[in-house]
Amino acid sequence: MVKFEARRGRIIIHFFGRKYEWTIEPRYWRNPMIGLVLWLSLPLVLYTVAVVAFDYQPIALMSTLIFANLLIMMAVPYNLQTIGTGRLSFGPHFFLAVGGYTAALLSRDFGLSPALTLPAAFAVGALVALALSPITIISRGVYYVLITLLLPFILGEITYWRSDIFGAETGIPNVELLFPTTGNVTLDVMIFVYVSLAIALVLLFLVDRTLRSRYGFMMGVINEDEDVAQSYGINVRQIKIITFTLTSGAMAICGWFLAHYQGSFSGPVWLMPPFLILVLLTATLGGKGAIYGVVISAYFVATMREITRITFGELSVVVLFLILLLLLYFLREGFWGLYRKRRYREYEPSIKVRKKV
Amino acid sequence: MLKVSNLTKRFGGIIAVNDVSFEIEKGEIVGLIGPNGAGKSTLINLISGFYFPDRGKIEFNGQDITKKRMNERAKLGIARTFQNPRVISNMTAHMNVLYAILGSNHGKKLSMTEAGAEAIYYLDLFGLLKKRDVLASDLAIYELRLLELARALALKPKLLLIDEAMAGLNPAEAESVSKLINRIRNEFDLTIVWIEHVLKVLMKSAERVLVMHYGKLIADGKPEEVVRKPEVVEAYIGEEEV
Repeated sequence: MVKFEARRGRIIIHFFGRKYEWTIEPRYWRNPMIGLVLWLSLPLVLYTVAVVAFDYQPIALMSTLIFANLLIMMAVPYNLQTIGTGRLSFGPHFFLAVGGYTAALLSRDFGLSPALTLPAAFAVGALVALALSPITIISRGVYYVLITLLLPFILGEITYWRSDIFGAETGIPNVELLFPTTGNVTLDVMIFVYVSLAIALVLLFLVDRTLRSRYGFMMGVINEDEDVAQSYGINVRQIKIITFTLTSGAMAICGWFLAHYQGSFSGPVWLMPPFLILVLLTATLGGKGAIYGVVISAYFVATMREITRITFGELSVVVLFLILLLLLYFLREGFWGLYRKRRYREYEPSIKVRKKV
Repeated sequence: MLKVSNLTKRFGGIIAVNDVSFEIEKGEIVGLIGPNGAGKSTLINLISGFYFPDRGKIEFNGQDITKKRMNERAKLGIARTFQNPRVISNMTAHMNVLYAILGSNHGKKLSMTEAGAEAIYYLDLFGLLKKRDVLASDLAIYELRLLELARALALKPKLLLIDEAMAGLNPAEAESVSKLINRIRNEFDLTIVWIEHVLKVLMKSAERVLVMHYGKLIADGKPEEVVRKPEVVEAYIGEEEV
């Protein structure tokens, strides 16, 4: 039985014994379903507008959306890692490459399907992270930054040294695609958009649940003050190791997706600093620890990257980074900070005093 | 309850704590005094697990805890406050206490709602209920001291280590904190080791006083007896030049 009930300021929907309330005034909108519906419908809306209004097959546009989802896949676990370890890593793309190479090698050399390379990529990423996890305990500040920054460079050099295995810049070809092609390029790209969106969504959900759990609370304390966290009885080492391991495994999934999306995997492309900077900018522009802000910033960064690429050609990276730097200067609390400030009663009240003339 | 034997801690060439031994019985309030640099805070840091000793042994309720980390000692029932209040500044007073409960042993059995309600109880106990939604960074020093105590008590400790709870407080505030510490000792059946520079307040509350000087324990006894000892007077005032 479905029944609508209009009350002052809100709508109530009775749906087979369950009751859903909807507040009409936008300032009270807290329902994440709105954001989810908007997000899910974005690719379809953009595609329809491009085809119907401009008679244009928007493959580049869809690729931009995939890149935005890739940034989310990287920046969301990265945010959790930063909170849970209390350290700012400069090597998230290292784990992307680990996942990518694992998936590509297993697919090409052993003929494993994407369904099997997915857990393998996660497991290898997590195991490598577990082996490296003592760095989250023994190093901090610039030492931690340097160690994490060196990891992708070392892996990059290894890919050239053992180009017989990793293929250097050419990468590893003949990786099985995530699904058999339909014959329609636009439809294929659209499916990849939704697959990447689904992965990003799952990661976002898992990270959100973690942050809201008591482990999330413990991570918050570790991020603020490790000594205080220890004095609470929190096993700081254990939480740091678990966080570092699992979030790195999540980043490896991004590499798995890339390998099976492109049908090949070339590490040096992703191990270069520009991609790292884009991930860091996405995480920072999202807002401090704000995982939902990352969604907004990822789409913004990916769109700006495409616009500058088309408009400025060789200078595109320079212009893109300049724009993002300016945004960092003006949006100190990121995109999520903007949203929070506009939320009713969620900003500090201020009193303006007029001077008597 | 607490037995410290031959505890020594060096920082390079400086011996911060030098062969210190003492025992504390359950339910005691023990004052720890001494001039600046005497090694009081280092001793608290050694007992709480913030530092590991170079030599010596710490036993808590008959268990050797010398090599246990701070979080393991907290789980055994040792809570502490810091000389400079270390609260999570961008979180509210309520969140600060709530986080302590969630991290603690007993907090694992509580739901978020129960832990939240318990945090409110501790805030109320220390008169911070009205400040529960205020960011810790916006609290006055007196309130921060109370918040640290509330947070430490929320861990349901058996032994509470207080590192200069009166620092930066005016006499009225210091008196109020002192009364609160006595109250929680009685209500929660606590054993307290309390470092303090405000001797007047400590003399009233402590049943026993340990005096440290240059890392060594130079006196141990009832407050009124200890302050009359020549070596204590000398440590505080200095030796008369001849």
